[in-house]
Amino acid sequence: MSYIITPDIVRYACTCGLLKPISNLYFCRYCTQLRCSFCVCHEVDTNFCGKCSENIPSSEARVKKNRCGNCYICPCCEQELSTRIASTKTLSDTEDTKTTPKKMYYLSCQFCRWSSRDVGIPDQSTVTGGWPERENVHANQLQELVDMYKAIVLAQKQQQEKDKKKQRGKYLSYTDRTGVTAAALRKRIGLPAELTHPLLRSKPKEPEPAVAKTEVEKLPIELFTEPINLMDITTVDQRLLQPEAQPTTVDKLFPVHKQLSIKRTLRCKSCEHNVSKPEYNPSSVKFKIQLFAYYHIPEVRIVTVEPLRAGQSCELILKFTNPSQHQTTITILELNLEQQEVEEAEVAPSFDNMENLSLQEKQQMSLPSMLSQPSSLMSMSTRSPTITVKPRKISENVNCDVDVPSSTFILPPRDDAAEYDDSGDTHNIQDDTKLVKWRKSNKAYVKLNVTPKEDLGLNSDVVCGFTMQHVYTNTITGQMDKKEPQKYDHKVKVFLHLGKLVGSE
Amino acid sequence: MGLILLDSLPLHRIPCYGLKINMSRNSIKILPGALVCEESKLRGDITIGSGTIVHPRASIIAEAGPIIIGEYCLIEEQVRIVHRLPFDQRNKENSTPVLLIGSHNVFEVDCNVESPKIGSNNVFEAKCFVGNRVTVSDGCIIGAGCRLTEEQTLKDKMIIYGSRCQMREGLDKPQPQTLQIETLTKMLPNYHHIKKSNKKN
Repeated sequence: MSYIITPDIVRYACTCGLLKPISNLYFCRYCTQLRCSFCVCHEVDTNFCGKCSENIPSSEARVKKNRCGNCYICPCCEQELSTRIASTKTLSDTEDTKTTPKKMYYLSCQFCRWSSRDVGIPDQSTVTGGWPERENVHANQLQELVDMYKAIVLAQKQQQEKDKKKQRGKYLSYTDRTGVTAAALRKRIGLPAELTHPLLRSKPKEPEPAVAKTEVEKLPIELFTEPINLMDITTVDQRLLQPEAQPTTVDKLFPVHKQLSIKRTLRCKSCEHNVSKPEYNPSSVKFKIQLFAYYHIPEVRIVTVEPLRAGQSCELILKFTNPSQHQTTITILELNLEQQEVEEAEVAPSFDNMENLSLQEKQQMSLPSMLSQPSSLMSMSTRSPTITVKPRKISENVNCDVDVPSSTFILPPRDDAAEYDDSGDTHNIQDDTKLVKWRKSNKAYVKLNVTPKEDLGLNSDVVCGFTMQHVYTNTITGQMDKKEPQKYDHKVKVFLHLGKLVGSE
Repeated sequence: MGLILLDSLPLHRIPCYGLKINMSRNSIKILPGALVCEESKLRGDITIGSGTIVHPRASIIAEAGPIIIGEYCLIEEQVRIVHRLPFDQRNKENSTPVLLIGSHNVFEVDCNVESPKIGSNNVFEAKCFVGNRVTVSDGCIIGAGCRLTEEQTLKDKMIIYGSRCQMREGLDKPQPQTLQIETLTKMLPNYHHIKKSNKKN
């Protein structure tokens, strides 16, 4: 699994033009296109607590400020706090009849040994909950502000509705014909004659503005005279963990509710099919839908590279792995970045037709098409026009030529049992021995010749690229009455960081 | 790890880094009640107090001078306690320094301690490293994987944690691992060869 942690040596060009390692890419089976995290819609599926694995509905999560009610993290080191039992005998009771040891619970961090006793929180008699919550000093003011802005939003909405009604009134004024005025009609129904909503009339109450003081507290002289005990002072991280309190000294560190985690559904922006959908259960790490590129696109890995010298051909051995259940044929084509510009130019005029699209949709089309607004909102409002993302130009400085081989090679399907098969490789594939050096089950080791450009300086990074065309077998059935799996030629641009250029011998 | 080599070399070829004791002669004093496994590696002049448990594969190397370990210490597998002086103090012709390790210290798996003085009730968590310029007093906890190399004296009840070796002051000393020691004194002799105690109280 080293490709997850190693620097991105082999990168694939996503349809949008960004370069990503294969483990970060998705593959939409319906568009047969690569998608990266920027070209999919991110939707929050479930909120859950990572410690107690409890599912929390989104409405409840919003009320709880996206934090778990029962689990706490350490205010000192941000690790999860665990509840510990302290079986202290109730010695404080003067009556000797109460000798039963009472189980008391306290919170303790296994990592930095912080405990709730450090800051003087009394031990609790119940396992969960009951921990004192601290009141935010500014809670009232914050609530006032929130209320005011809510009122403003409401007022604006009503104003808009009213404006709409007025516009409509120009064309549909039945009251003129019938001779009944709107006010009279309202009176007859039993509504107040005034059209304006009570909330509209009453301006939202403004909270008291903060007042600037001319006289401020004097700087305490102890700051200069007393030596600082760093053990008592909190770090910036610790202060920012509790933005509402921002404790300056260690004795004001109180346990923090653990932030909730989410499970995301990823949806292709073009066809609105899911490319990734996790299982609902928080403790499950499986997916209902997982269209990761790693399961569909052949993986390329560098096996060996000869020392790279400017202007000299050197041997590069790549390993191709077929992850799919279908045989595929791989053709290595020339990487044509200029051609891409031509394609773009052809694509561009079609965008002119879309000028009648609303501004909002255009904004979504613009690159980088990061989703800034809640995705659920978007998918609800604009369901019909799919969002086409204009591919950006691949910005990779390719400074090494690849000798494109004339022949193609076949990759057999992945067979999980191949490891245990002792009979050896039974497939009879006629390979071009110049191209394919060795193969095993669904893997092939391919030799390519690459030539770094003449004008490269010493120690400069050598990057080469090629277009990999592979046969993708689409197994979606019931599409246009085609029962046979569809085969497509899918092209991916692959970029390889080969390493540094070394001097000539 | 060069010390393994030293044992196999003939005496006259041992490179001398100001060593004052003869490395080839071990003098191990194990007080009654201590549990020292045969597979542990003890080099030099070492005294092990009663109740202390030394697991197999732990190595205690008294390179610069004798090591005296107190009572009820727990020295787990792959622990390396090395008495090694910093380079600039090696050639001083003073009396040989003694590494005193107090009682109730816990050395967890694969920690590497070269401290010149260790108090009592300390915990050295797994894979931590304490250099030979760090003096440890009482009730300190050196967190897992923490590396302390700069010259300093850890005050009492200091807790070091995290990848950046953050420090905080603890409220209490860590609890002594009496239960664990009790269990081990029962269990270890069943599965390991134990070095006999050679000192009488």
